Amino acid sequence: MGLLQEIKVPLIAVNDTSLTVVEISHANGDHVQKGTTVMVFETSKTTYNVEAEVDGFINYLCEVGSDYEVNDIVARIFSGKEEADTATIPPAELQPPAVHHQNGQTIAAAWTGITIFSNGAKKLMEESKLNTEAFAGRDFVNLTDVESLLGIRKTPAAPKTAAAKQVSAKEQELPVPANSTKVKLTGSKKREIEYLGKVQSTGLTSTINTHVETDGIFIHINNALAVLKNSLLPVIVYETSRLLKIYPLLNGYFSGDSIILYNDVNIGFAIDIDKGLKVLNVRNADTKQLSIIENEIVDLSTKYLDDKLAVEELTEISFTITDLSGEDVSFFRPLVNMQNSAILGVSSIDQKLQRLYLSMSFDHRVTEGKLVAQFLKDLKNRLESYRGNGGKTLTSTITCFKCAKRLSEDLSDTGFAKVLTPSGEEAYICQSCFKGF
Amino acid sequence: MNNTLNFNDVNHKLLKTALRIRTVEEKFLQLFSEGKLNGTVHTCVGQEFSAIAFAGQLKKRDFIFSNHRCHGHYIAFTGDVRGLLAELLGKKSGTCGGIGSSQHLCHNNFYSNGIQGGIVPVAAGYALANKLKKANAVGVVFIGDGTLGEGALYETMNIISKWEIPLLIVCENNFYAQSTAQKTNLAGDILSRPEAFGIKTWKGDTWNPDQLMKTAAEAIDYVREGVKPGFFLVETYRLNAHSKGDDDRDTEEVKAYTERDYINQFKRDSLSYYNNYHGTITEEIDGLVTEILAEEELPIQDYFEVQDEVKNDRWQQIEPIAKRQVELLNQFFKEQIVNDDRMVFLGEDILSPYGGAFKVARDLSFLKPDRVFSTPISEAAITGIANGLALNGLKPIAEIMFGDFITLAFDQIVNHASKFHHMFNKKIKCPVVVRTPMGGNRGYGPTHSQTLDKFLIGIDNVKTVALNTFIDPGIVYKSIYREEHPVVVIENKVDYGKKILHNALKNYRYERSESDFPVVRISPAISEPTLTIVAYGGMADMVAGILEQIFIETDHKAELIVPTLISQLPIDVIKESASRTGSLVVIEEGSPVGGIGSELIASIMESSDHYIKAKRIASLPVPIPSVKSLENIVLPDKNRIIREIAENFN
Repeated sequence: MGLLQEIKVPLIAVNDTSLTVVEISHANGDHVQKGTTVMVFETSKTTYNVEAEVDGFINYLCEVGSDYEVNDIVARIFSGKEEADTATIPPAELQPPAVHHQNGQTIAAAWTGITIFSNGAKKLMEESKLNTEAFAGRDFVNLTDVESLLGIRKTPAAPKTAAAKQVSAKEQELPVPANSTKVKLTGSKKREIEYLGKVQSTGLTSTINTHVETDGIFIHINNALAVLKNSLLPVIVYETSRLLKIYPLLNGYFSGDSIILYNDVNIGFAIDIDKGLKVLNVRNADTKQLSIIENEIVDLSTKYLDDKLAVEELTEISFTITDLSGEDVSFFRPLVNMQNSAILGVSSIDQKLQRLYLSMSFDHRVTEGKLVAQFLKDLKNRLESYRGNGGKTLTSTITCFKCAKRLSEDLSDTGFAKVLTPSGEEAYICQSCFKGF
Repeated sequence: MNNTLNFNDVNHKLLKTALRIRTVEEKFLQLFSEGKLNGTVHTCVGQEFSAIAFAGQLKKRDFIFSNHRCHGHYIAFTGDVRGLLAELLGKKSGTCGGIGSSQHLCHNNFYSNGIQGGIVPVAAGYALANKLKKANAVGVVFIGDGTLGEGALYETMNIISKWEIPLLIVCENNFYAQSTAQKTNLAGDILSRPEAFGIKTWKGDTWNPDQLMKTAAEAIDYVREGVKPGFFLVETYRLNAHSKGDDDRDTEEVKAYTERDYINQFKRDSLSYYNNYHGTITEEIDGLVTEILAEEELPIQDYFEVQDEVKNDRWQQIEPIAKRQVELLNQFFKEQIVNDDRMVFLGEDILSPYGGAFKVARDLSFLKPDRVFSTPISEAAITGIANGLALNGLKPIAEIMFGDFITLAFDQIVNHASKFHHMFNKKIKCPVVVRTPMGGNRGYGPTHSQTLDKFLIGIDNVKTVALNTFIDPGIVYKSIYREEHPVVVIENKVDYGKKILHNALKNYRYERSESDFPVVRISPAISEPTLTIVAYGGMADMVAGILEQIFIETDHKAELIVPTLISQLPIDVIKESASRTGSLVVIEEGSPVGGIGSELIASIMESSDHYIKAKRIASLPVPIPSVKSLENIVLPDKNRIIREIAENFN
């Protein structure tokens, strides 16, 4: 008789310090068999099933819809049914601690003892006629603390207390007005806010747009693609990944007082079809052929729709591309993901102008507009180079929509005219048909 | 010399055993010349009957300590020819897995070590344990005439005589110390030496084996029945070189002894018998060698395992204890000696009412008179005897009166306690504890004040622990007591008189980890620290007392980390702190070069991804003066610590 297994919140991705319980598969006291799923967590990336490691009776210590920190005990499996029925009180270590533990250190909530001032602090306080009361609640005040208060130092040396961890998705809650309904954020939305907040909340991001001439661009591209006809995404992933090797700053992120550069180019592409916004990873895209990139995009998308993505297909992304070209978007400002320095947005092709907009948002702490503009120019040139005949339409494929005469068979030397057909499609018409013989 | 043996007078069983030893050793020399043996061999060809007379006449419960020339002793005592052959051929099936080879054997109460003299106190400790356990067992320790030059021997003879320890010292006098003739380096008479200590002596030689057997049996009986020590001098001659080629002896002299050799005489007088015996033995040994040569060697992972690092685990707040450290130490040992029959306490001047120079042993000898041994001034023997007690299943606590004297015990710590477990391929453990007080600030001067901890870390398989004034020493000693391998404990003379967490500062938090050897962390109550200080032992108490002053004068909110286990520093805890502060100071009471600070900073730098500015503060590299004004300057005092922090971290 006794406790057989403690189920703790797993660490699935480094950045997920808490997970949401989205499903509890049994009732308290139910018998569970080794290998059966007992609960499901939602991470920022995917869902994660927890299986029983033993046969026994389950007792949950969590609720569906709530978030739990990694390593919290959320369920226990007992050898006896009575224990599982009665064990409703979580073990002592589960009780929310009165003081916050961080790295094994206990940090008291507030300081009511005396404040000790360093000689350096005292001197500056005297010079600035600053009263000691300004530092009530501090245990020690040194020169840096005084300078911070006086605004002499930019970065306040404020103690890294429990409060520091509160910089998260949680905004101060306001009362709900009578004529409105409160809808709880999902766990994944909260984490999305947190991740995007990391870079954007500094206010130091900027976006640069450029346009790409797309006239005739698919003629060759479609020949090279097996499935994703009329899609620029595989080519953009292909070209971007190669360019990132030349622009390493865009394949990294800002961290503390350094910039971390990724060694690998792992291109993430954003996808959002019914299953929530996710970014899927085309690993080492810079080493892969176009056809392989296309295959991977198709495979990953299929897995996304089938809910079969693995964690490694969602993590370690070094650069993100968000393609809204299917949504009739003129242009937009994408948001830089956490642990990325830039993101590329792809808008829809304007069929009349035969152009599309590329928008790149970037973390200004890592790089500047000039470099991003240069990158976009390079990318634009590379993409436009796919256009048949250097932008000129390939004549051999043009036929008159009425008489099916090829442009090459036109002897009038006048050329064909571009028209709208009665059904509203763009097409070509020959002189003869246009004039009506 | 060339007298003829009367065939019927020859004890053929004895002769065959001697021939067996000789044949094995001759095989070793042959294998060596064929390049099949690694390292070295020291043969006892010519001396075999000495081995048989003593090792061959002991009981299974008795024990033997032998030296570099131990093959004969080993075969005579254990009969394990195969294990010996495989050992020297470096095979896993060897008696010590091929780790020890020729000089380091261990099997069923047989031990040998290649250090001259050091085995004598270890054997004495082993024999003392037998006496305490009333095992009616005796021990023989073999030395050579060369060993008469070693001091540890005389320290031990004094003690075994005084304490009536049942140990028979057998001195095999082959007249040469390696290649040096005895007349060059031995003064006086051999037997007068043990006799001067009041030890009964006997004498015999290997040219009259029957007589030697008889006298040896008499000596063994005396030691067993009388529970007293003895000293037996065996005159003999080694017919081969000391090792292999190093022989400059007069060839005529060697030739004469070769002819006089008992086995050779038998061969000359009864050749057909000799050939018959020799043929059978040779066939057996050749068979074994062929079989062993095809065997596996020990894989490294069976020999060496990487030890886990000390991990940052759970922390708890420290509560003050209104008792002095020395009282708590004394309390621990009193409880332990009463409750555990295995515990033996030994050291100089420790009998009550005196109770040792620092009173740690107060009342112990009143509580358990037969488990407390006040020793002569013999640090090597104290530690060696403690090693022997530990090998024989007891839990010895050896006290070295002043830390400076631990150098006299160094051979026992480094060449014996440290090596036994591994060199005997993990067959035995040596859970010895050596305690000693170090530290200055008492005006005791150059030889009674120094902190020598840096010489004590980095000894393989030996833990070095430094007590401090933040943790009940009883908690630390409980862990030390549980250890299965040697531990050296450094106590601090000034700390003895201090209470646990006696002057806690209000603006700091005091925590300790819950590991076996707790790490203490003293941090600003709520502020994020800006400087990491590591100090241990006596320095920890001193630095903890000036944390506020350091803050006021240097602007640094320091976090002090105090390791207890200094041979395996809590790198993760220190690194975690230093990564946050970016600044690390290590304060030690020894001198800086090759010290604990150097080791710590190197370990942190090896594994840290951050730049950490580091500084060592230590004693000046000179002997510690007695005069107060200079002692204060040589040892790291608070003014120097504050000044060096201010100069280096602003």
